[in-house]
Amino acid sequence: MADFVALFLTDLVLGLLLGCVLAVIAHGLNIIWGVAKVVNVAHGEFIMLGAYGAYFLYLYGGFNPLLSVPIDAAIGLVVGMGFYFGFLYRELRGKESMGLQSELVTLVSTFGLSLVIVNIAQSIWEHPVGILWSPGAAQVGPVPVPFGGLYVAVVSVALIALTDLFLTRTYLGNAIRAYTQDIPATQLMGINPTVVAAVGIGMGFSVTMAGGALLTVWLPTGIDPTKIGILYAPISFVIVVLGGPGKMWGSLVGGLTIGLIINVGQLFLGGSIALATAVAVLTLIPILLFRPEGILR
Amino acid sequence: MLRLEGITAGYEGTRVLRDIGLEAKEGMATVLIGPNGAGKSTTLKVINGLLHPTGGRVVFQGNDITKIPAHERAARGIASCPEGRRLFPLLTAEGNLRLGAYSPRGRAAAEETLASVYDLFPRLRERANVKAGRLSGGEQQMVAIGRALMSKPTILVLDEPSLGIAPKLVSEIFEKIQQLRKGGLTVLMVEQNAYQALRIADFGYVMQEGRIVMDGPPDRLLDLEDLRKAYFAIP
Ligand SMILES: Nc1ncnc2c1ncn2[C@@H]1O[C@H](COP(=O)(O)OP(=O)(O)O)[C@@H](O)[C@H]1O
Ligand SMILES: [Mg+2]
Repeated sequence: MADFVALFLTDLVLGLLLGCVLAVIAHGLNIIWGVAKVVNVAHGEFIMLGAYGAYFLYLYGGFNPLLSVPIDAAIGLVVGMGFYFGFLYRELRGKESMGLQSELVTLVSTFGLSLVIVNIAQSIWEHPVGILWSPGAAQVGPVPVPFGGLYVAVVSVALIALTDLFLTRTYLGNAIRAYTQDIPATQLMGINPTVVAAVGIGMGFSVTMAGGALLTVWLPTGIDPTKIGILYAPISFVIVVLGGPGKMWGSLVGGLTIGLIINVGQLFLGGSIALATAVAVLTLIPILLFRPEGILR
Repeated sequence: MLRLEGITAGYEGTRVLRDIGLEAKEGMATVLIGPNGAGKSTTLKVINGLLHPTGGRVVFQGNDITKIPAHERAARGIASCPEGRRLFPLLTAEGNLRLGAYSPRGRAAAEETLASVYDLFPRLRERANVKAGRLSGGEQQMVAIGRALMSKPTILVLDEPSLGIAPKLVSEIFEKIQQLRKGGLTVLMVEQNAYQALRIADFGYVMQEGRIVMDGPPDRLLDLEDLRKAYFAIP
């Protein structure tokens, strides 16, 4: 019994820590959806690129994943703005809102982009690669708390808090929130809709790639281009829907929920992470049925 | 101050406005009246830049602004209270007001202007932290006007400020608009509520089926018997 309690507590703590990093990788998707009503099907591929960013910074600069976060974030900002001008601008320009036609165009074009990235990645990076960084663990009672996961969780929550502060406390951030509600009215406030959309989407990619860097700490078998997108994109979608699309703290609520279900759940499912992940995804059904606006009000 | 010259405009093939000419003079309240569907809101969209005309010119303070995008027109001092108010429903009343001060001319004086907006509409001070979507129609109109004022505009352009608000609030709103105009602000207002609008106007235009069919000082417009019948629906 005492063993079980120790296991349970350990999985609880690991679930919360994992939940934080899942939250931050989903957060980028949440921002892009929240700002532009664009579902970025290539989300998983940008998580992967963020992870590779951290890997190359480690390989050539000796950076640990935490130090790569600001650099990945800066690259992501530029990449996101490029994505906006390359893929969305022509479709969204002059539109008062996102129509079905534009939604399909963005779905198809981000899907195409995702295929391109994943195929190039698989052809140039044939084997999984890893970052060697183990800052150790602290023993708290029966529970070992890995410092790597702890730092990652702190940075993840801080990133979400920063985006929330930016969106609620600054002129530009509030302009982004206004843009998502009523584009023509935003223009009447003297706000350039192109700038606001580019910054908002840049911010989404910035968080996504920073999340990819943080995720590397949680990838014991390394960065595998055949796996990252396929696994973490669907989890991100689930988290965003759970927490409530467009709600900044919804990412954290959704991420913690999924992290807990996966880690604590597998304890009751014969240790099967795959089964626990399936259960985590299934929580979507009651949420969509009974609280389609997400857990957060 | 603001002039339309020979404006032709419409939506995807359908022409709504034909050869519109009108002027809002500095320091005056100009009112544009006419029946539903005449093209009044479309005219204001040509002014604030949300609709680009197919012909004619928009001139503001001596500059041709016909090709200038909407957000730059706002930054130059053309403030709009659009049809249906168009508040940001998920932002608070104060959040909406503060966003009105986005452009440089408004931002520098945002705190003072906010205080003066609250003095103009004391009710908004109590409702500051309520989401705009939860405000009453009258309160929303106050926020819409206040939000426009936050940009420190040179001209205030209002589209039917009396629409959808309680009758006793309508006269209060008109009173405030008159107060602003007396304070030196140039006003251009579209209204269906012709009597009340003309009462605070210095000059009026009457629009029908996309054309300006009459103009003049308000007392002359109010006197015209046939006009009453045609546009005010009063026997
Ligand atoms: N967004 C739009 N798309 C197509 N037609 C429109 C649109 N807005 C207005 N119209 C048409 O333009 C005409 C003038 O409308 P509007 O300018 O709103 O009139 P008013 O404000 O005087 O009631 C109407 O026939 C209306 O149906
Ligand atoms: Mg109208």
